[in-house]
Amino acid sequence: MITLSDIPARGGTPFTLPMALFVVVLATAPFWLQWVGLYQYLGVEIAIWILFAMGFNLLFGYTGLHSFGHGAYLGIGAYGFGLFQQGVAVSLWGGLLAAIVAATVAGAIVGAFLSHRRGIYYALLTIGFGQVFWFTAMKLHWLTGGEDGLLNIPRPDLVIGPWRVNLNDNAAFYWFVAAITVVAVVLMWRVVNAPVGRILQAIRQNETRARFVGYDVWRWKWLAFTVSAAFAGLAGGLFAMAQQSAYPDVMSLHQSGIIVMMVLVGGGLVSFWGPVLGVILYFIARDVLGGLTEAWLLWYGLIFVVMVMVRPEGVAGLIHTLARRAPPAVAPAAKPETV
Amino acid sequence: MAQSKISRRRLLTTAAAATGGMAFMGPWTHTRVYAQGAAKPIRIGITSDASGQYANSGASDRRGMMMAIAEANAKGGVLGRKIETFHLDTETTPATGSRVAERMITRENCGFLVGAIHSGVANAISQVAQKYGVIYLNTNSSAPSEAGQNCHRVKFVWDANGTNFAKASVKAAIEKYGKKWVLLTNDYVWGHSTSAATKTLLKQYGGDMVEEILVPQGTRDFSSQLLKIQQINPGVVAAAIGGDDQKAMRQQIAQLGMGNKPVWLNNQQDWPDVYGLPLDNLFGMFGTTWYYKLDLPGVADFVKRYQAMYPDTGMRVPGNVFYNGYFATRELIAAIERAGSTNNIKVIKALEGHKMSARDRMQHHDAWIDPVTHQVQQTIYQATANVGTQDKDDMFKIVASTSPQDAMDSDANGACKLESYESTPTFDA
Amino acid sequence: MTSLVPHLVNGLTLGLLFALIALGFTLIVGVMEVINLAHGSLFTLGAYLALSTIGAGWFAGTPFGIWWLDLPMASRYFVGLALGPVVAGAAGMLLELCLRPTYGKAPLYGLLLTFGAAIVIEEAIRLIWGTGEQNMPVPQMISGAFLMGGLIFSTYKFYAAGFAIVAILMVWLFLERTPYGAIIKAGAHDSEMVRALGYDLARLRLMVFGFGSALAGIAGMVMAPIWGLRPHLGIDVVIPAFLIIVIGGVGSFWGAVAAALLVGMATGVTGAYAPAWSLMSMYILLIAIVGFRARGLLGRRSALEN
Repeated sequence: MITLSDIPARGGTPFTLPMALFVVVLATAPFWLQWVGLYQYLGVEIAIWILFAMGFNLLFGYTGLHSFGHGAYLGIGAYGFGLFQQGVAVSLWGGLLAAIVAATVAGAIVGAFLSHRRGIYYALLTIGFGQVFWFTAMKLHWLTGGEDGLLNIPRPDLVIGPWRVNLNDNAAFYWFVAAITVVAVVLMWRVVNAPVGRILQAIRQNETRARFVGYDVWRWKWLAFTVSAAFAGLAGGLFAMAQQSAYPDVMSLHQSGIIVMMVLVGGGLVSFWGPVLGVILYFIARDVLGGLTEAWLLWYGLIFVVMVMVRPEGVAGLIHTLARRAPPAVAPAAKPETV
Repeated sequence: MAQSKISRRRLLTTAAAATGGMAFMGPWTHTRVYAQGAAKPIRIGITSDASGQYANSGASDRRGMMMAIAEANAKGGVLGRKIETFHLDTETTPATGSRVAERMITRENCGFLVGAIHSGVANAISQVAQKYGVIYLNTNSSAPSEAGQNCHRVKFVWDANGTNFAKASVKAAIEKYGKKWVLLTNDYVWGHSTSAATKTLLKQYGGDMVEEILVPQGTRDFSSQLLKIQQINPGVVAAAIGGDDQKAMRQQIAQLGMGNKPVWLNNQQDWPDVYGLPLDNLFGMFGTTWYYKLDLPGVADFVKRYQAMYPDTGMRVPGNVFYNGYFATRELIAAIERAGSTNNIKVIKALEGHKMSARDRMQHHDAWIDPVTHQVQQTIYQATANVGTQDKDDMFKIVASTSPQDAMDSDANGACKLESYESTPTFDA
Repeated sequence: MTSLVPHLVNGLTLGLLFALIALGFTLIVGVMEVINLAHGSLFTLGAYLALSTIGAGWFAGTPFGIWWLDLPMASRYFVGLALGPVVAGAAGMLLELCLRPTYGKAPLYGLLLTFGAAIVIEEAIRLIWGTGEQNMPVPQMISGAFLMGGLIFSTYKFYAAGFAIVAILMVWLFLERTPYGAIIKAGAHDSEMVRALGYDLARLRLMVFGFGSALAGIAGMVMAPIWGLRPHLGIDVVIPAFLIIVIGGVGSFWGAVAAALLVGMATGVTGAYAPAWSLMSMYILLIAIVGFRARGLLGRRSALEN
């Protein structure tokens, strides 16, 4: 099986062909979404979940740390954003910053508990902490609104200098989300293709070896978890804007499992771009199959089971393998470009 | 929410322009060709849960709406236009409710949304609906906050709520079963607001709350709470326990044979949650807004129509959830007819304050749509298990009815602040 | 003032029920090092099948169905008690066959596959039996209630707790006192060695998974009269089972039993004195114990850590 390590890391510019494609598709979506039978709000959710999934994959795919409670940090970000708007000030950047800070702090604390653990104990503890956060969000109704959620969260205007953009329009809001997602993805690209990325992958391949080589494994694992929680928090803040509310159910085990499903189906284990494919596939499957049959989850679940059995590298892995089998006209160096 | 200035109409026209005059609707859109001059159908989005905790009630709710729509279409539709429906599963999940509402309004062109069981989902949908000005009927969610702090100009609430049920039962229960009460409260919004109403009434009528036991949501085993209740030995236990928790609790109380002593006061009992269960699971007193064996004209015919339309349904008689789904939808259609237009503001005005006769709604008292809170004020019934019946369907025995005036939630008027007409986007569906 | 004793008794029965719920899960984790997230769905499946067996399900109306329903409740109940777990076991074996491609890879794949399977089984149950609440009847002799110290206790719950004790002892005897048990345990520690000794490891795994799933089915049948039956019951099972494993320590049979009793006690006692925290108590227990003892109460080093 191929892994992320088979894809050579490159320093330098992140402006590769897939990145260009990603940016173009994301930027033009409002013009053709309706055309293919989708709608603007779905685009907003997809862009947010791409951000969440990509951040999650830093931990999951690159560092090989299997978090099954990551929805919690998305939720914390959403509450952070909402509580900032309602308790401090109606401010776009302030709210998003609050979302990131809240999730980062939570991630840093949990990460400190987790980072001594390995393998399945790591996964089990992430579930445990995820459940605690979820349960707490339901319980503190005076703060979070309990299971009814935190309602009436405003979407503050975007102000850049003399410019003021009303984000209540879904198309305007979409571009805002897409821009943030692109910036975050470029940032992540830089991280995984920098020496840091190599260290994270070394930990995934063999933690003991990484330790012997001299890396402070605990610190890197903690950092990976915290950074990934920070991205989740940012996504959560945007999600609270999208829904104009924050709900506890995104923090449940079920939702945390679904994000793992998305990343895996897309091929997050073998490609930087895997999570993007996974998110798009899931959302479209849900929207299209969900409109046709109430038992859509049965079919999606079956597809997922078969996928884990026969092609755990996911869609990106499939593309990668096909590209590899292609005639030698494809120069080896160009391979990663096609992923 | 008052800041939403964007009109749905404008959004749709921009979308139309962007897609080149909608010539190509995409692979998943139903492209229908209407004869020249034939009016385009009115589309109603059905937002009932098909999975999750309230899947079963959601199905019942939906059957009610579909029957009302089928009857209207059989008479030629409304304003000469046929009614079409579009259903998506809201999964008993608020986040899904938001997304479904967005899709129904922006992609499926639904001019009206109908359906809810779970108050979180109802809230989520109504926030989106208010943003676009789309009328939304909350058919079955009975959290008092729905017609209180979370009310909206576009939202109309059809079920009676926790406060109404408490008002209908607490005073009589104190007189009959004593002053010593224990409250069993589900530790979330609906549980707390329902118990708060009970507490106020207890104070008002001289009852004595010995203890309030908070039950976390998701509790599956009630043995320690039930032991504690035995140790306290109250006259009445007023339970505000919802969903799956309540189902598990009922089973465990029946096993202990504790159903008759103390007296259990269940705020509201939805029909789909108990239909088909053994009668000893249905103890104590509970509230409902309608029963299929009410001795009123029209009821028998209504049951027959239900059975004719749904011959294969496991639930062989309609219950309160079906009833609300049906009447909400029927009144919406009637309001469009009265308004003579599908303009949302005109329809809202046709609904606000509208009176519905007792005979029409097959209840004992006239009902009306409260113009201040948008909640339907209606008759509340108290029921117990129909012990000794031979008819498997006839599970309830109605013991009392309370007029809407007596059951009204007087605090809701202060808590509810509807958005102004001006800040609600307007459009024709 | 509420007296503590009845709550301790109640906590103990609760703990035994938790142990029963977690038994099959523990076995599969301990021996095969697979976290079977489909455990809860198999639990539900077993219960639904038992329900259909008791009520003649698909045969209702046929001569066989009429004859069947004429039999006393108790005999139908015991046939259900056998049949539910058998089918859950068979479903578990099928799941094990699906799991085979994931052996030797990261434990994550097993976790993911069973997560997918849990969704599939739950949706299938919804399609077959519908979404509504159902009620599992029990024979007269184990239903009802009895008085103890002036308080009413459920007879069925004590029956279920007794059943749990028997099931725990049987599984323990099977593991400790039969040659199968020895091989299975050896397989858990060193699969190479077992293979070298000439045992068919594939069949062994199939058997263990089937057995663990059958235990899930039995637990489902026993718990259904207390909890009621709904298609999404599984999540209520998997989470406690899973917490118990982590608290007890992966791979430790008695660790899991001890953890279950602890969780039961914690739930029971907080249920009386701080009821709002009764569900949270198990998570607090988890963090308190695992925070100090990385591998839980009695856990040992596991291949799952790599």
